[in-house]
Amino acid sequence: MSALELFGALLRRLGWFVVTFWAVFTLSFFLMRLSPGGPFMGEKKLPEEIRRNLDEFYNLNAPLHEQYLTTLGNVVLLNLGPSQKLKDYTVNEVIAEGFPVSMSLGVIALTLALIGGTIAGVVSAVKRNTIYDFGFMGLATLGIAIPNFVLASLAIIIFCFYLPILPAAGWGSPQQIILPAICLAAPYAAYIARLTRAGMLEVLNLDYVRTAYAKGLQPRTVIVKHALRGAILPVVSFIGPAAAGILTGSLVIERIFNVPGFGSHFIDAALQRDYPLAMGAVLVYTALLYVMNSLVDLSYSVIDPRVKLE
Amino acid sequence: MPINFRLVFPYVMLLLVTAAVVWAVSLNPPPRAEFTFDNGTEVQTLDSAKATGNPENRMINALFEGLLRSLPAADYREKYGPHENAPLTAQPGMAESYEVSEDGKTYTFHIRKNAVWSDESPVTAHDFEFSWQRMLHPETGSQYTYQLYYVRGTRSYTEAKVAPGDAVEVELADRRDRYQAWPRGTIVRGTLKEILKPAEPVIDSDVSPEDKSRRMSDWKKTWTYVVEIDGKLTAFSKAPDEALPFENAIPTACMQVLPDWQSTVGIKATDDHTLVVELNDRTPFFPELVAFYPLYPVNRKCIEKYGSPAWTKPANIVSNGPFNLKLRKLRDRIRLEKNPLYWDAKNVKLNSIDVLALRDETTALNMYLTGRVDWATTIPADMIPQLKKELKDQFPSAPMLTVYFYRLNTEKDALKDKRVRQALNLAIDKQNICEFVTKAGEVPAGTYVPPGLAGYDSPPGTQFDPKRARELLKEAGYAEGHQLPHIEILYNDSPSLHRTIAERVQQMWREHLGVDVQLRGLEWGVYLDAQDKKDYYIARAGWIADYPDPNTFLDMFVTGGDQNMTGWGNPKYDQLIADAGKEPDPAKRMAIFKEAEALFLEEVPIIPMYFYVSKNLIKPHVKGFCNDVQDLHPLTLLEIDHAAKDGKLGQRSGTAK
Repeated sequence: MSALELFGALLRRLGWFVVTFWAVFTLSFFLMRLSPGGPFMGEKKLPEEIRRNLDEFYNLNAPLHEQYLTTLGNVVLLNLGPSQKLKDYTVNEVIAEGFPVSMSLGVIALTLALIGGTIAGVVSAVKRNTIYDFGFMGLATLGIAIPNFVLASLAIIIFCFYLPILPAAGWGSPQQIILPAICLAAPYAAYIARLTRAGMLEVLNLDYVRTAYAKGLQPRTVIVKHALRGAILPVVSFIGPAAAGILTGSLVIERIFNVPGFGSHFIDAALQRDYPLAMGAVLVYTALLYVMNSLVDLSYSVIDPRVKLE
Repeated sequence: MPINFRLVFPYVMLLLVTAAVVWAVSLNPPPRAEFTFDNGTEVQTLDSAKATGNPENRMINALFEGLLRSLPAADYREKYGPHENAPLTAQPGMAESYEVSEDGKTYTFHIRKNAVWSDESPVTAHDFEFSWQRMLHPETGSQYTYQLYYVRGTRSYTEAKVAPGDAVEVELADRRDRYQAWPRGTIVRGTLKEILKPAEPVIDSDVSPEDKSRRMSDWKKTWTYVVEIDGKLTAFSKAPDEALPFENAIPTACMQVLPDWQSTVGIKATDDHTLVVELNDRTPFFPELVAFYPLYPVNRKCIEKYGSPAWTKPANIVSNGPFNLKLRKLRDRIRLEKNPLYWDAKNVKLNSIDVLALRDETTALNMYLTGRVDWATTIPADMIPQLKKELKDQFPSAPMLTVYFYRLNTEKDALKDKRVRQALNLAIDKQNICEFVTKAGEVPAGTYVPPGLAGYDSPPGTQFDPKRARELLKEAGYAEGHQLPHIEILYNDSPSLHRTIAERVQQMWREHLGVDVQLRGLEWGVYLDAQDKKDYYIARAGWIADYPDPNTFLDMFVTGGDQNMTGWGNPKYDQLIADAGKEPDPAKRMAIFKEAEALFLEEVPIIPMYFYVSKNLIKPHVKGFCNDVQDLHPLTLLEIDHAAKDGKLGQRSGTAK
């Protein structure tokens, strides 16, 4: 693949990104505005005059199409405006504070899932039908079957109460990352282990691997340099959805371990009708999903020469 | 030579992953504070004029101080046990003293000379006048403006009600920022001579109330105000291009036309240390209002320099309370540090406090049990019986001024008849709900106003009486629930407690009255919307006292009151509430409230269910914690017994299996 082809493919991706982004924006905007309730509703009802002033401040008194165009303009300028519930913050500030935390947790969880899942998958395939294989695949089945909030509760009981070696919640020290990262990574690690095992089993029977063994190469060299390269493709294609899933699915884990990430805002903003923040969350995740999937497609074509970027 | 991506790719990826992991774990946690507590949720704002809710109350009380502050008597530690409430009273804060005129309508506050802001500038009476004006300004959007409606001229100011002949102040359209009410534009003062109004818009009957309100508001913006200033007539309008011309000229653009603050509102700083406040009527609980956080001062220079909300950032904020804001991380923590400039700093024992925003009750409990927080304010309901048993000394629970009730929409066919409403009330076994559903020691509510208000005793309340309930329903023509029109209970479906209570009530009505009601659980925003539009039959609700006086509960149900939402109204009740506002004798005033509550309970526009109790877990090494009916627990009273704490360092200080 030449640099020119790469550039062309990226440009096409960018074009589709703009279309997708606009479609998601439009759909979210109207869905949010059509849902009953509003940002200034509470158990204590606001006097009408004050509500009107707040509506004016947040541009909620204009006709819907004008609000749509103004909001779209602001989004293009990357200015999402003030949050309507977290009144001391703009949406940009909320994103700037929460997103790096979610990213930290996500990066570590994804790395754990990749390393753990790949090793387990390779070992299971190489030592097929042994205790290692049954052990790892049993764990993988459990990892997929157990929801991460159950896993988190179990982990807290074990590591915070029976073996009090890790903090139960909070964010700020490396110890506080361990439990949430493991709980978040577990189902993805399990899935990666199964993918890797399946891929390895297929590749280990191919001619080029047998040739490598026949040449007298060390088994480790054959597995890591030759077999794994062919077997890893399904895993690579899974990284996109996995990264997106880890970053967007961290809400429950963030809440249980009180991690001050962006996931916490996602549902809260929608439930509280904080329109700008909910819009910000949707758009950030849209961008994230799109970028991650594009990166995976790109790396897929780099790893496997048969794949062409379109 | 072209780059071979395929060869480079694994190394690039490895490098990227390593860099990402190094970045992810390179955290720099602040050292632990001396005292850590869970504030329940993220504080929505630190701006006292815009805040609502108890978590905000705790923070604003730590950072700011009003003329008066709510504190228990000095000897509360000796007098009150862990399951009793120490009464909070309005005690000197920024004001070292105050006087009340003979007619009870004028309060004169004397600001202490050694009161300073955190930037070392003095706190003056002008700061309070500014802060209260800001709170009342229509554009501030304060939810608590009604707390100052007892002061002369305030309501008209907030609602911008002006009529020809009134003294007015006009703000010209030369603000630095259109959406920042402060710094204000140029203010000109004069007498309003007339208002020229374009034709009122014709609004169809099928237009929604919101749309109608918006269109009327747009129309009002086009009014032309003719004001006499120094003998000369000038016309102003908020929307000059659409307004009627005056003397063939387009009116001057303005931001607001409000009643003149200086001459119409009874709030006046007569010098740096004296604030005079004139009330409409005798308002015996006015000191309690002054000690409530919406009336706390904000620093004018800070607000004018940074604007809202940037002035609340740790780097910008100027405060006058016992603690300073050092750090604020969203959804994580607020770090407070003792303010050495605070006038009563010698009596503030805590040097640093971490305020956590734990939204999950189980997480809060886990952190408490593993010693990461010293005080937990939210506890999972299911765990309460066990915690009360096993951590009794750390669970100082006492009644609060908060009531859980069901609103009845008296405009619905089934609920128009008072006897039906009474029957529904009498057929609920509230003791059963408190014992088996809420479980924290809540008190079944036979009356509406919670017990614990000094000088006030509610009238005898109703008790669970299914036999009488059946009789009443029969008298209303619905024996055994036959022919009773449709009824349903509306609740927000999270937390699930509301659903459990509704199910229990549904079961009781079926069992005792033969009435089959439907349940309608809605997501929070949809539930509020339905209640607001009176699109409900019976809706669950709650009310927390804003100040310790029966008025805070009873005046919300006057006919057409903003918070009423039941469609119920009674002229006699309205008159009693108005009379109580004017009654100078405290005992007689309470008697009037009692009469009003008796009438209210007889009419049953709501079904009181139970009174809340505070649910706090507090470590034994925290001294000075006391219960109060508003569940406030001022941070200035707390101190750490370091000997007791260090002895337990690293150990689990509580066990609940």
